[in-house]
Amino acid sequence: MTNRKPMILCVDDEENPLVLRKLVLEKAGYQVATVHSAAEALRVMDTQPIDLVVSDHLMPGVTGVELAQAVKARYPKMPIILISGVNDIPTDADTADAFLSKVEGPDRLCREVAALLRAAVRNRAASSDTSL
Amino acid sequence: MAAPLSVEEADAVNFMSELNPIGSHEPVNILMVDDQPGKLLSYEAILGPLGENLLKANSGREALEHLLKTDVAVVLMDVSMPDMDGFQLAEMIREHPRFRKTAIIFISGVHLTDTDRLKGYERGAVDYISVPIIPDLLRAKVSVFAELHRKNRQLEKLNRELEQRVAERTEELRESESQFRSLANSIPQLAWMTHADGSIFWYNQRWYDYTGTTLEEVKNWGWKSVHHPDHLDEVIRKFQHCIATGEPWEDTFPLRGKDGNFRWFLSRALPIHDVSGKIVRWFGTNTDITDRKQAEEALVKSERLAAMGRLAGIIAHEINNPLEAISNAFYLLHDHPSLDEEARYYSRLAEEELARITHITKQTLSFYRESQQPMAVSLSEILDNVVELQSRKLQLNRIILKKDFRTAGTIHGFSVELKQVFLNIITNAVQAMPDGGELQLDLIESRDWKTGQGGLRVSICDTGNGIDSHNSKKIFEPFFSTKEAKGTGLGLWISKGIIQKYGGNIRFRTMRFKKGNVTCFSVFIPGNAVAESAHLASALSA
Repeated sequence: MTNRKPMILCVDDEENPLVLRKLVLEKAGYQVATVHSAAEALRVMDTQPIDLVVSDHLMPGVTGVELAQAVKARYPKMPIILISGVNDIPTDADTADAFLSKVEGPDRLCREVAALLRAAVRNRAASSDTSL
Repeated sequence: MAAPLSVEEADAVNFMSELNPIGSHEPVNILMVDDQPGKLLSYEAILGPLGENLLKANSGREALEHLLKTDVAVVLMDVSMPDMDGFQLAEMIREHPRFRKTAIIFISGVHLTDTDRLKGYERGAVDYISVPIIPDLLRAKVSVFAELHRKNRQLEKLNRELEQRVAERTEELRESESQFRSLANSIPQLAWMTHADGSIFWYNQRWYDYTGTTLEEVKNWGWKSVHHPDHLDEVIRKFQHCIATGEPWEDTFPLRGKDGNFRWFLSRALPIHDVSGKIVRWFGTNTDITDRKQAEEALVKSERLAAMGRLAGIIAHEINNPLEAISNAFYLLHDHPSLDEEARYYSRLAEEELARITHITKQTLSFYRESQQPMAVSLSEILDNVVELQSRKLQLNRIILKKDFRTAGTIHGFSVELKQVFLNIITNAVQAMPDGGELQLDLIESRDWKTGQGGLRVSICDTGNGIDSHNSKKIFEPFFSTKEAKGTGLGLWISKGIIQKYGGNIRFRTMRFKKGNVTCFSVFIPGNAVAESAHLASALSA
């Protein structure tokens, strides 16, 4: 495990929210890559190491939940946070590790990201322990 | 000469010949009475061609025997016979009611005076024939009376048949009347009949059962008494228009039941015409459509709620998306090194106002729902959870917490919205005690004060300032707040909406003691409460 900053992939079809989310997460100490669609996200994940995905749920074409399903199919341990502005939780939202309302604010988002990354590190440590 | 037939008899013969088609010539009995067998033989020869049954008697006694055994159309008798003369025999025949109309023709060998003839007619003779007998004449006379008898018999038969038919029709009518009554009483509608002028003379049992009236009270136009005064004039106007024009009547209006409550009825009446097309009566029904009306209203309401839900979804999306971006922007801005003190102040003001928007959309447009289905949730756990969230404030405000949970308080519902209810009330309680105090939480199994229904009661009591009586009516209204800029004024309004959805209620009161005030909020949730899917719309509709 290197000491590099964790790399977060942010997905949103809208530019302003995407950039601001990236800045918030960078301020919290993470590296952030941004893409505008689920398809782009999957391409990026194939070419560079990603530690966590933060995606908008309601996007044209492939939704956040569908992206989460695709990601989990390829990278079962990849933590995914979905954020949504609509007031209905899709029935299969639990494909993602967390489903947040957009009104929860930046602090909550950063807390969720930190918690999931910590859990991922613990999981990796646990699996490497058993492999010893 | 044969006595001519009277006009009535001739008419009767004509009428009967119409009734009796040719070919249905049934022979009748002709009784010939004479003490001389030779004469009987000659009568037989003369009357043979008529094709009737010829009976012969040698004496009055023998004649009577025949008469008792058979139905005789014509008696042909000699006036002078040894043991009993013709007059005596005729008298005896006439005395018997069965033979009162039997035609008796006397044959007289001697010349009769008019007095004798009169005597004969008084005894019941219908005709005389003198000797020497002219065969054609005898045949013609007998034939007329035989025919008359035959027609009489047919008429009697027809009469009997008619009587039978009348009896049958009467029975049928009685049956159909009774079928109509039972039909009219078994239909779910109220039913009634009016005369041609619209005055009612009959109602079915269901009418009386529903309205609790008697025929005396509601006959003719007495039914006005069960109508709603707001609708009566219009009902009468329409009804009278139809009575006048003969158009079918249809109207919808409320009718008062015997319990005093009005229900809505769809009413129709059709005119009943006689053969000439004249209206003789009206038959009407009132169909209870209250449930249908309520279902329609409920449907409209639920459609409105669904539309509100969709609208709320759209608004949530359109507000929450930019809200996140703005929040993030201010989050990045508020301690940005490039800002001077003044800019930082502006930024903080903007961020505070933004927090208000965020709070209100969280309260009203929040999507929070753990699942689509209500689940078993424990009120004691929810209360503990809420207290946990408030623990720091309790400490800061030096508030002593006392809990008394007598039950786990499990109900079916959505824990997040229930958490919101108790968080709203407990936050208010904490804010009412800025200088310390006591917060008492109780959870017990209880009954509704009004209905006696079993359920759970949570009471939340604080020793804060208390609620002023002039505010007590308003605290559940939307946008009412005593916290000025700090509150949205929606907390208790939304809480009430949520609890009402569970079929429960929220009450409160402030008790004023010398030592200080105690304000208690009491939340009652029925034990069998199963909340519908949590939805903004239901909170908004409360």
